[in-house]
Formats: sequence, C-alpha cells, structure tokens
Amino acid sequence: MSGPFPVAITGMGCICAPGDTVGECMDALFRERKDPALPLRFTSSHSISYPVFEVSNDLMSLEPRGITDITRTGRLALFAAHEAISNAGLDQELETMRGQRVGVCVGTTVGTTMNNEDFYRQYLKGEQPDMVQIIRLLNSNPAAVIAREFDLCGPCQTVVNACSSGTDAIGLGASWIKAGLCDIVLAGGTDELCHVTYNGFISLMIADDSPCKPFDKERKGLNLGEGAAILVLESENSRRSRNKKARAFVLGYGASCDAYHFTAPHPEGRGLRRAIGEAIALGNITTDNIAFVNAHGTGTPDNDRTESMVLADMLPGVPFLSTKGYTGHTLGAAGAIEAVFSVACLEMGRIPRNAGFSTPDPDLPVTPADTEMVVKGPVALSESLAFGGHNAVLAFGIDRGLS
Amino acid sequence: MKLAIRGVGAVGGFGCGLEALNAALSSGDHKTKHVVVKTAQGPCEMPAYLADTSRLEYFLNKRALRRVDHYSRMALLGAYLALEDAGRLDEDRSRMGIIIASGYGPGRATLVFLDTFIHDGDGLSSPTSFSNSVQNAAAANISILLNITGPGLTVGQLEMSVPSALIAASLWLEEGKVDSVLFGAVDEYHDELGYFWHRFFGEKATADHEMKPFEFDLQTGIPGEGAAFFLLTRADEGVSPYGCIEDVIINRCDRSPLEIPKDALLFIGADGHKQCGKYYKEHLPENVQLACYTPIYGSLPMGPAFDMAIAALSFKQGMIFPSQACTGDERALDVNRITCLKISGSGEAGLISLIKGN
Repeated sequence: MSGPFPVAITGMGCICAPGDTVGECMDALFRERKDPALPLRFTSSHSISYPVFEVSNDLMSLEPRGITDITRTGRLALFAAHEAISNAGLDQELETMRGQRVGVCVGTTVGTTMNNEDFYRQYLKGEQPDMVQIIRLLNSNPAAVIAREFDLCGPCQTVVNACSSGTDAIGLGASWIKAGLCDIVLAGGTDELCHVTYNGFISLMIADDSPCKPFDKERKGLNLGEGAAILVLESENSRRSRNKKARAFVLGYGASCDAYHFTAPHPEGRGLRRAIGEAIALGNITTDNIAFVNAHGTGTPDNDRTESMVLADMLPGVPFLSTKGYTGHTLGAAGAIEAVFSVACLEMGRIPRNAGFSTPDPDLPVTPADTEMVVKGPVALSESLAFGGHNAVLAFGIDRGLS
Repeated sequence: MKLAIRGVGAVGGFGCGLEALNAALSSGDHKTKHVVVKTAQGPCEMPAYLADTSRLEYFLNKRALRRVDHYSRMALLGAYLALEDAGRLDEDRSRMGIIIASGYGPGRATLVFLDTFIHDGDGLSSPTSFSNSVQNAAAANISILLNITGPGLTVGQLEMSVPSALIAASLWLEEGKVDSVLFGAVDEYHDELGYFWHRFFGEKATADHEMKPFEFDLQTGIPGEGAAFFLLTRADEGVSPYGCIEDVIINRCDRSPLEIPKDALLFIGADGHKQCGKYYKEHLPENVQLACYTPIYGSLPMGPAFDMAIAALSFKQGMIFPSQACTGDERALDVNRITCLKISGSGEAGLISLIKGN
C-alpha cells in the first residue's frame, strides 16, 4: 500500500459547547469545564430528561455569501471555516486561493437528512407547509455551503458516514492533496443538535440521563452535542509558495468496515484494529512515538469495552482519553473536533483529563487519563467508530522535521 | 487513474438487471407508474419510475431481509447483481471497499422514524426505524450481508454525488488501500418527495406526460428511483468488455468551459428540470454527438450512475442505443469514448469519461 501522507495542516477552526474558537475550547478543556444541560432549542416528551451539549451562539450574526437562508448545521460549518481560513492566513489571500484548486470535504449526519419535523407535521395534517424549509435544507449541503462562501470550484464532497464522517472527511481530503487533485482542502465536520437524532439515540437506549462517563464503570451511554471543526490541509507547493509553517501533519488514515452489526462494534474490535494498523503503517509510525490516543469514547458500554480492549492489545501503555465528556457526541462533527483537539494537545504537549471518568471498570483492561497529563512523543491518533460498523483512524504528527 | 468496470448491476423504473435495461433502451419504452400524492387540495396522481426489488430474494432469504428497508434493498440488489455479473459473488471481500453515492439518502425510513414519535410520542421512537434512517444505512447493510471489510464511504452531494464519490474509488485503488471497490448509487421515491414535486412544479409534475430532456426551457421531469452498482478494479488487471472510467471532472460551468473530450459521445443527464436545462442550453458545445437516456430511468440525483451503466453496456454491445437526440434504430458504436455529463440546478458540472478497453 502506497503512503499518501504526510499532508500539512496550516489552519484550524472549531466551535462546540466548550467554546466558539479553538483557543476557547482548549481553555475550557484544561479548566475541566463541562456544562451539559437540557436542550433549549427543542422540547421533548420523554419522561426522563437527557442532557446535551449545545452551542450557545445562535450564529445569526453570520451573513453567508450568496444564499443567506441556510441551516444551523451549515452555519456551524461556516463559522469554523472562517476561523480556519483566518488561522491559515488565507483570509488575506482569498483571491489567490480562488485561483488555486481548493476542495471541500466535510462530514455530517443531519446536514443532508430530509428530517424537517415541523414541515412533516404540517404535511401529515394536510396543511400547506412553507417550502422555504425544504429549499433551506437543499441549499445547506455543508461542503457546498463552504465552497459557495469562499467561491471555490474544486472537488466538493459531503461525507455521510455517520459518527466517523468528520474523521473520514479529513482522511479523504488529505488524499486529494497527496494525489495532486488539490492545492488546498478545507476538511472537517459539522452537525447541529436536533430532536430527531435526540429521539433516535434515546430509542437505542444508549443515551445517558446524566453527564456521560466515558470508560467509567458506571457509564450508561452518550450525551449528544453539536458543533463543527474545519482544518486547512495544504500541499507542500502551496504552503512553501506563501512561506506558511505547518501546525502539524496528517500522517496516516485508516478505515474499515466491521461487517458485523448495524449499531454495535465487533466484539473483538476487528475493524478498529485494521483501521489503526493502516493509519500507523501509512505514517511509518512506531508505537513508542505515539504521545496519546484520542479515543472515540462515547460512554456507551459496548463502544468503550471494544475500544479499551483494542488499545490495550495494540498500544499498551499509550495514554488515551475521550473528550466527549466536554463536548457531547457531536456525530458527524466529532471526528473533526477531536482532530483539532488532538493537534492542539500535541502542540501543547499535554492532554486534559478524561471528563466523567472516576471509577475504573474491572471489565476494561485499561483506564483513560484520569488527570491532566504531560505527554511526550510527536504523534497522536484519533479514532472514530460509527453506525453500520464503520471505523476510521487518523494519525497526526508534529516536530518531525517536515515543516 | 483508470478504473476497469468488471460488473454492472442496475434496478430502476426500467426493471431489474442489465437485460431489462437493455430491453428498455432498445425499445425506448418508458415504464412509469402512478403514485398518489397527498396534497392540501386532496390526493392527486403523478407519474413516477419505481423499482421492484423482489429479485433480491434470489440472493438473500427473507429472514436476512426482515429489517432491511426499500432503500437498502435497492442498493443490495444492485450490489448482488454487479458481483454476479462480474462472476465474483463467491470471492473473498477482505480487500474490497464499498462506496455509495446518494442525493437524498434513505428518505422513506426517515419519515417512518418520524412517524413513530409524531404519532406515539417521543418515548415510543423506533430504534429499528432510526437505524434504517442513518445516511450510511445502505453501505452498512451491504458490508454486513456481503462481508465487505475494507473501507466504507457514503457521499451525499445531491446531483454531484456520483462524480464526487468516484474520486474516492479512484484514490483507494491508486493508493492500494483495496483491490476492488463495489461502487454504487441509490435514490428512492417516497411520499414526501412526491409532495415536494407537486409543490414545486404543480400540474407540470402531476399531469400525465413524457420527459422531454432536450426541451431545456420546459419542466418535464418525472421522479425516479433505483440503484446502479459497479465492481471496479485497477485497469491493469486486464481488459474489461465494459471499458474503463478514464477521468472524473467536477467544475462549475459558469466559471469555466466544460472540458468535454472532442472525440466523445456525450450522454447528458438533462432530466426535465428547467432549472438545470438552462445550463445545458447555454454550455453544451456545438458539433458534439449527443444522447440522453433519462426518459428510461427518470429524474433523480444518482442519474449519472445509470448513464455510466448505459455507457458500459454500449461498449459491451458495441452499439449506441436510440435516444431522443439519436433517433432511429440502434447502430454500431463508432467512438471509443463516452462522457456522461450532469449539471446541477446551481451550475455544478460533473463529467465522467469512460473509454473502450483499458
């Protein structure tokens, strides 16, 4: 297998419950701030309340270019993209960027789903719902929203691989750079909280009615969240032509299908092992170089059992954590948000504690970081496990003499 | 990188399998059915191209299919047909990837899930319906039932889903991530979609009519559904009678001229939408040999995959099937390159070029 990596990361943007920027998010993580609360943007008739991690910003100050009426998922993506573009120094070079081959690859779950509940309720009642709701959704394909905002005409792809969408979008975007299809790729993920997915995860009985507790003995499931993160991936030619230092590199990307069960991971972690192995092999990574692993760590019994078993087998002694205790599970955005966190933690040389973990589970062979840790080594892995048995793993690196 | 097409499977309004597609193309028969659309003014009928998936029970027993919805059934049937056509149904699939392109995803399952809590309250939301409504449901069902353990990808890019997803297939094969890719596209008709058509297009959607894709100024589209699947490998594995996918280009036709190879027969994906028709009218080059087969399968975002299937079939049969722009009987194929062009309502253009041989 040929190695399509490394690919430079020259900018990052992130918005999720802990903050509206990468800096705010990292500050909140290291201050151990976590504020799950009952959803404010929709109501529910469940007899039990399930907390979520909402973004407080209503994002209505954004004025999208061209079509202004877009969904919250589209607005989250735009908000993160603007920060990433600015962080990469491209906000001063937008005209130059438009002359380059700039692609957009974004993951989502609800961003392309025809699940407009208000519209459908009116339709069922035989009323005449306003078609503006459908037009808004059709105009809000996340990758297309970003391409339209910055007037880009390179490849445009919205990845809908459920909970691994954001991770896959970054891996695929990096492949576009390495294959020479693009000079720059804006890659990431975005998802808003909505009543439909809220009901869905509760119906599967994998939602926790208290703050989630990834890898803890008492874990009961996940809390949903929302947000977006975008990374600027850039070719060496483009980066050098504007003398831009890389923040980090995408070193490897592995993906696989469990081919086992729709909603549960393979009990031996078959697919996850393959995805980790592939990401490590592509990046020529030795396990002693791995500073930490950002685990998927949803807080569901099955996910955390499988993940801890695989990590114990494949990467013994490597620190790992889940950040979903700070963000909730942001579905299609999760892999991208956690990619940003992974790179930022590598830069800082430390990881926050795994929020929600306090009691080790004797059934799990390893435990996550139970306190803030200084980490060594230039490489971090970030894992995503998704509905349908899909697995995706990214390897990020810094300080390898590549920049 | 060139991708060899080793097998093709298709199901749609024309019927099930390549024989049915071949027969529909040869005869020019348009097999629409009538669906009932619920409107504020009462129910009305509308033509639609619908797919029958009963042949899936030839490949899978009823027990295996008991929780699989129509959307995934279409995809599964396309997948099995493509593997059967390639003679690779019994092959190990640990080095195979699965890629699905869909404009709208599993819309019917999404509504079924909404129904469960709208009618019965949030506490009675159905977990099975929720699982089926996830956008990668078809890829998940296919990977599980066919034991595909390579990478999986589902792309939702509206009319550009097929060309966009093909980029990933090409890179996976080029990088050596996989030895083959089961590439498919699927879209389904559902009640709410019919309602959208009624609201957007009124009588132009509901009256009995035929699609007239070359009448670019008219709204003549008829909704369709179906699936088209391809088993793709690297071209150096040997010549395929279906030819190769040589190139995929995505661009904006209002930003730069369409890069249509001069020696290509051009299949245009104009599907009776006036909004898209204006771009075809304005940007189609002169002196290009054109054909259009949308009246065989209907109007749907994954239409370019049906055009790819027809192009592959044309290479295999060595003939050009009659279409509204190439009137007359079937005739011998006199080109080595077919380019499938799809333009979206916002001016994005996807070009997929296939060549004869490898």
